[in-house]
Amino acid sequence: MSETLDLTLKVWRQPGPDASGRYVEYKLTEISTHMSFLEMLDVLNEQLNEKGEEMIAFDHDCREGICGACSLMINGQAHGPDSGTTTCQLHMRRFKNGDTIVIEPWRARAFPVVRDLVVDRGAFDRIVQEGGFISANTGSAPDANSVPIPAPVQETAMDAAACIGCGACVAACKNASAMLFVSAKVSHLSTLPQGKPERDSRVQGMVAQMDLEGFGNCTNTEECQAACPAEISVSNIARLNREFLRAQLCSKE
Amino acid sequence: MVTKLAEKQQSSPSTGGKSATKWIMTLLSSSIGQKFVMGITGLLLCGFLVVHLAGNLLVYVGAEAYNGYADKLHSMMLLPVAETGLFLLLFAHIALAIKLTRDNQQARHISYQEPQSKIEEKPSLFSQTPMGNTSGWMFISGSIILAFLVIHMIDMKLHWNPGVDYSIETPEGVVEAKPYSIMVQVLGSFTAPFYIVGTIVLGFHLSHGFSSAFQSLGLNHPKYTPLIKKLAILFAFVIAAGFASLPIWGFFIH
Repeated sequence: MSETLDLTLKVWRQPGPDASGRYVEYKLTEISTHMSFLEMLDVLNEQLNEKGEEMIAFDHDCREGICGACSLMINGQAHGPDSGTTTCQLHMRRFKNGDTIVIEPWRARAFPVVRDLVVDRGAFDRIVQEGGFISANTGSAPDANSVPIPAPVQETAMDAAACIGCGACVAACKNASAMLFVSAKVSHLSTLPQGKPERDSRVQGMVAQMDLEGFGNCTNTEECQAACPAEISVSNIARLNREFLRAQLCSKE
Repeated sequence: MVTKLAEKQQSSPSTGGKSATKWIMTLLSSSIGQKFVMGITGLLLCGFLVVHLAGNLLVYVGAEAYNGYADKLHSMMLLPVAETGLFLLLFAHIALAIKLTRDNQQARHISYQEPQSKIEEKPSLFSQTPMGNTSGWMFISGSIILAFLVIHMIDMKLHWNPGVDYSIETPEGVVEAKPYSIMVQVLGSFTAPFYIVGTIVLGFHLSHGFSSAFQSLGLNHPKYTPLIKKLAILFAFVIAAGFASLPIWGFFIH
């Protein structure tokens, strides 16, 4: 298959955090269906550069779907139309010749636009700083099975640990709620024995910071779960709610 | 990070902890705590709906059964206490709904051009309607239900419906009409269509609200969550069909 596409892109352009933005239309011709979505944007940027225009700023890093840097709202869907996929792993074969593609940044008060399609996801870092870690020094790698962890618990923790912190959950949620992200971090650490000592302060700190950052509240639409490239389940949100109540009722703080 | 955590641990005395009420305020002012209150008040109001529907379905048994139930209920000493409780539940549910909805709107101040759902299998029949996801519709459906409740209170509590004779003249003087008679008159008055709309919208509200409350309260498990979701649809249908049957019945007997 060596098909090529002619596309119309409507891209959000915003020169800076405080500048006003607008949608700008671009025509692209002969885009290979083998290209990834970001490669298609690279082609556009090269053309813009040749014409002496400002290139479109967008976040990307590993382009392998594991770093969580890429973050585009493509035709109103976080990371585009495929489920369990990041923008960098989306390929142009998913689109048809003549399509118009609308590309927007994540929209949330807690994720201010830095430039064009780049948003500041520092709010996630600040939430993690409030307890998304284990401060006990665990030394070098322990012997296998010295800390017994049942397989189902391991699986739960690992499934939650798959979160790459891209922010698609916030972007897809009609309330721009960060509950899926926070619940993944809390589930990942609090279900494992290494995370138990800080179980209460972790959930209390992270939820307090989440509220402080101005994310919305969860109304259980489950859009976050559908948009998540790591396929984090909303059952983690229920666990977060339980952990939070437990911490409020049982901890000394 | 280690030092930050150590500072935190030191700052709270291990014996005392927070003052007795401060933790409650922290809980209730947090996003999750407010969802707990929404869920608990919602489920308690569901409990009221069951009792209210059961009582009202007595009209199908007959005027005597209905009047007997209503008189007994109204003569209960603790009824004003229960009514106050019910009002407080409703007030908390509505006040928080307004606050949370405003918060949520502020959390996304610039909207997308055309947001599209990525959910492949819609969780309920209702979410495939043009209204989209039912939870996006909770505030609107809630507002319609509130408007209906105001009409319902005017009809049944304040006795202001001009189409209804709330008192009847008897040889012994003017006495209050029997509950059965008031009900039949209300269902024949111009407010009857609101009863159909109000109760059907209530069904949509419950179809999301009932199962959502369990999730908000942290009750999610592969063993019972699929059951709760099915039960929510059944519950919503039974409540909506049960209540909506009354004005339809009222239409046919007039």
